[in-house]
Amino acid sequence: MSDASLNAQGRRVLFRDGTILKAVVLIILCLLIVLPLIRTVLFTFQPDVIKAWSDVLTGRLSRNLFYKPLGNTMLIGVIVATGCMLLGGFLAWLVVMTNVPFRRTIGILSALPFMIPSFAAALAWGSLFRNDRVGGQVGWLQGMGLDVPDWLAWGMVPTLIVLTLHYFSLAFTIIAAALATVNSDLVEAAQIAGAKGRRILMGIVLPVTTPALVAAGSLCFAGAVSNFATPALLGLPVRMQTLSTRLFGMIEVGQVGRGYVIGILLVLISAAFLWIGNRAVSGRRSYATITGKGGRARRFDLRGARWPLFAVAMVILLSSTVVPIIILLASSFAPSSANLFSNWTSAYWVGLSDPSFAQGIPGIAYNPDIVRALIVTLSLGIAVAFTGMIVGLLASYTTARYRTGWVSAAITQISFLPLLVPGIAFGAAYIAYLGAPIGPFPALYGTFAILVIAATAYLLPFSVQTGRAVIQQVGGELEESARITGASFLRRLASITVPLAIRGLSAGGILIFVKIIRDLSLVVLLFTPTMPVLSVLAYRYASEGFGQFANAITIVILFISIAATLLANRLQRKSQPWLED
Amino acid sequence: MTKMNATRLGAIGILMCGSALADGHIDTMTPAELLPLAQAEGSVTVYSFTSRIGKVEAAFEAAYPGIDLIGFDISSTEQIARLKAEAQAGVANADVIYVSDAPVVLPELLETGIIAPYVPPRVADRVPAEFQSPVLAQRLSTKVLMYNEEASPDGAPVDSLWDLTREEWTGRVLMVDPLQRGDYLDLMTEIVLRSDEMAVAYEVEFGMAIDLDGAANAGEKFIMDLFANDLILVSSTDDVNAAVGGLGQENPPIGFTSYSDRRDNEEEGWALQVANDVAPAPGIIFPAIVALSAEPNSPAAARLVIDFLMGDESETGGPGLAPFYVAGDYLTRSDIAPHPDAVSLDDFTAWRIAPAATAEIRAEIGDLVLTLQ
Repeated sequence: MSDASLNAQGRRVLFRDGTILKAVVLIILCLLIVLPLIRTVLFTFQPDVIKAWSDVLTGRLSRNLFYKPLGNTMLIGVIVATGCMLLGGFLAWLVVMTNVPFRRTIGILSALPFMIPSFAAALAWGSLFRNDRVGGQVGWLQGMGLDVPDWLAWGMVPTLIVLTLHYFSLAFTIIAAALATVNSDLVEAAQIAGAKGRRILMGIVLPVTTPALVAAGSLCFAGAVSNFATPALLGLPVRMQTLSTRLFGMIEVGQVGRGYVIGILLVLISAAFLWIGNRAVSGRRSYATITGKGGRARRFDLRGARWPLFAVAMVILLSSTVVPIIILLASSFAPSSANLFSNWTSAYWVGLSDPSFAQGIPGIAYNPDIVRALIVTLSLGIAVAFTGMIVGLLASYTTARYRTGWVSAAITQISFLPLLVPGIAFGAAYIAYLGAPIGPFPALYGTFAILVIAATAYLLPFSVQTGRAVIQQVGGELEESARITGASFLRRLASITVPLAIRGLSAGGILIFVKIIRDLSLVVLLFTPTMPVLSVLAYRYASEGFGQFANAITIVILFISIAATLLANRLQRKSQPWLED
Repeated sequence: MTKMNATRLGAIGILMCGSALADGHIDTMTPAELLPLAQAEGSVTVYSFTSRIGKVEAAFEAAYPGIDLIGFDISSTEQIARLKAEAQAGVANADVIYVSDAPVVLPELLETGIIAPYVPPRVADRVPAEFQSPVLAQRLSTKVLMYNEEASPDGAPVDSLWDLTREEWTGRVLMVDPLQRGDYLDLMTEIVLRSDEMAVAYEVEFGMAIDLDGAANAGEKFIMDLFANDLILVSSTDDVNAAVGGLGQENPPIGFTSYSDRRDNEEEGWALQVANDVAPAPGIIFPAIVALSAEPNSPAAARLVIDFLMGDESETGGPGLAPFYVAGDYLTRSDIAPHPDAVSLDDFTAWRIAPAATAEIRAEIGDLVLTLQ
C-alpha cells in the first residue's frame, strides 16, 4: 500500500519535473536559436527593406550580388566536399584497415588540421605564394625568383586547396570512426569465400560506411560554403566573391537589408544540402553495422605499397599541418615575406612602438589592443565552454530521460539547427536580434554578453552531442534510484550525473573553448573595436598589409588551440578507437 | 594610485562634469579648465579613419599625463556602420569621431544626432566659417592619382584620366574597393558629377567626341571602361602605396591614394608623387571631420582631444598637428603656413566635393560599381 502511494507520488513528481524541465529547455533554445533567425527574416520584410529581395534575386545587381557569388560558393562546396571525402577516406582506410607504417602518427596528424584555424592556412598560403598583383609584399616563392601566376596566388584554386586541406580532417574523423566499426566477421566471411580486396571494399566496406561518407561529405560541404576567412583573404584581391564574403561586405558598408537576404539564402542552401545528405543516409538504414563483438579483422597487407602510400599520406599531412605552421612562424619574424628565412627580428613579437617601423605598431606583446583581445578571447572561450556545456547537458539530459513527446523531438531538432546556419549568417542574425533593445532589456551590441550568447547558441549542436555522449555513459539506474529516494533534479544532477561525467564534460568544454577561440566567421560581424577578439584582429591586420602581426597572433591562437586539444584528447582517449591496436 | 583613490577621483570628476554640463560652460572652457575634468574622467576613446591616430595617442598622452587616449583605426565606412548600430543599440563606445566621407556623415550621423559638432573656442577665430559649420573640419584630405616619381622623373606618365582606360594600363591601375571605402565611392561619384569635364577631356585625349555606348554619361562611361581595363581593387590605401610607390620598379603601376601618403616615402621606401596635371583633375579633395559623439562618456576629455587635434600656438601646430602637418594635407587653421613641399591649395587641381550633391547619387554609383565587379 505504502509502496503504491510512493509510486504514484513519484510518478506525479516525475511528470511535473519532466514537464517543467522540458518547457525550460525548449524556451532557452527558442530564445537562443529560433528567435534570432525569425527576427532576421522579419527584418527583411519591413516595407523599406523588402526591396532588398528583388535587388538580390532579380534586379540588375543580382548577377554580382548573388548569382556569381552563388556559383563560386557551390563550386567551392562541391569540390571541397569531394576532395575531403577522397583524402579523408584514403587516410582513414590507411589507418584503420591496412598495415601502413606509423599508423598512430598518421592518425594523430590527420585529426590536427581541423584544429588549425582555416585563416591560418590562408595566411600561410599568402606568405608562400603571394605574387605582385596587388602590390605590397610578395611571397617567398616570388621572392626566390619564381614567377607565381595569378591563378596560383589568388582566387579559386588556392581557396579550394586551403579549404580541402582544412576540412579533410573532419571527414577523416567521421570515416575512421565508421570504418573502425566494420565488423570483422563480415570481412573474414568474405575472405573465406574467396573475395578479393576490391570486392571486399565495394561489397562490404563501402556500403557499411556509406552513411559516414555522406555525413562527412555534407558536413565538409556545409563548412566550405560558409567559410569566410579563406575566400576573403585569397579571393577578394581578384574580385572573387562568395556568398559569405558578400554578406560580410554588405553589412560592413551598412547595406544591412541586402546582407541579411544573402545570409538567409546561404542558410537555405546549406540546409538543403545537409537535408539531402541526411535523407540519403536514412534511406540506407539497412546497412547499419551489425551488432555483436567481432574481433578486429586482419589488416589489409599493402606489401610493396606500404612505404609509397606512407609517403603520400605524409605529403598530405605535412603540407596541411607542419608546413603552414613553419611558414607562419617564420613570417612572424621576417620583415619581408619574400625573404622568409633571413633578417629575422623579434620586433613583431616584443618590439616597442617605433614610428619608423610598421607605422608605429608595437610588437604583439606590448600592443594593448592585442593584449586586450587576448583577454577577451580567453574569457569568451571559458565562458562559452561553461554555458555551452550547461545548456548542452540540460538539453541532452532532457531528451535522454524523456524520450517521447513533441517537446523532446522539438528540442532535438532545434538544438541541431545551428549546424545549418553558417557562422557569418548566425552573427548577422544576432546583430538583428540583440543589436537593438527588446522591451525592457538593453541592446547587447558591442558587449561581451552578445559574444557569449551567440557563441553558445552557435555551438549548441556540438555541446548537445557531447552532452548526449556523456549522459549515455552514466547509466540510468543510478539516477533512477536516486529519484526514487526523493532526490531533487538539481541534487541528482549535482551528486550523480555531473561527478560521473566530469571527464567527458571537461573534454567537451575544452573542445568548445578551442572551437570558439579560433572561430572567425561568427565573430567577424559581432566584433566591435572596444570588444576585440584575436581572430578578427589577425584578419584585420592581414587585410591591411601587416601580415607579420596577423601571423604572430595566429601562432598564439594555434598554440592555445593545440595545447587545449591535446588536453581534451587525454581526457577522452577512448573516443578514438581506431588508434587502438 | 590605489583603487579607492581612483574611485573617489572618478566620483568627484563625475560630479564636477555634471555641474559643468548643467551650466552649459563646458563648450566654452579653455584647455586649462578642461584638463582637471578630463583627468578625472581618466580615458577617452577615439574612432579615427587614419592610422595616424597612433601618433596622436602618444603625443596626447605625453602632453596630458593621466588621460588614456584609446584610439581605434577604423575606416570611415565602417565607422558609419558601427556608429549607427551603436546608436540603435543605445551604446556609446566612442567619445571623439574623426572621420571623412562627409556625404554620408552629414545626413546620417550629424543630422540624426549621432554625432555633435564642437569647435574649440581657442581656435574658433582662426578657422574659416566654411570649415566650422555644419561641423568642424580639421584638414582637407585627398584621393588622387599618384605615380612613381623614381620611374617617371619627368612627371606623371599620364596626362588624362582617360589614359587609364588604354591598353598599356591594363591590369596596372590600382584603387581601394569603392564598396569598402566610402572615400573612393565619393571619388567615383565626383567623376560622374563632373561628366561634362570628363567628356571634354575625352575629346582632347582621343580626338573625337565620346560615344557613350549605353552609359548614362561620360563619368559612368569612364568608370565602366576603367573596370573593364582590369582595374585592381585592393583593401587598403597602403596596398596601393606599396604597389605604386615601391622603389626599384621598372614599370610600376599607377593608382588612386592619399596625396599625404607621400609623407611616408622615406620611411617606407616609396616614390609616390601626385599627378596634379592630369586632365580634367587628379581626383578629389574633401574635409576630414572631427566631432563629439552625441553623449560622450568623457565629455571634457573628448573636447580636450579635439582641441589638441586642432594644434597648439606654435608655428606649425605642435605635436597635435605634427602627424598632419605634411605635404598633401591641407590644414583648415588659417594661421598655419601651408606645407612648403606640397602643391599649394590654389594650384591643386583636384575637385572639391560638395557633400549634398554627392549624397544624392552616391548609392546609385555604388550599385553601378557593384554591377561592374
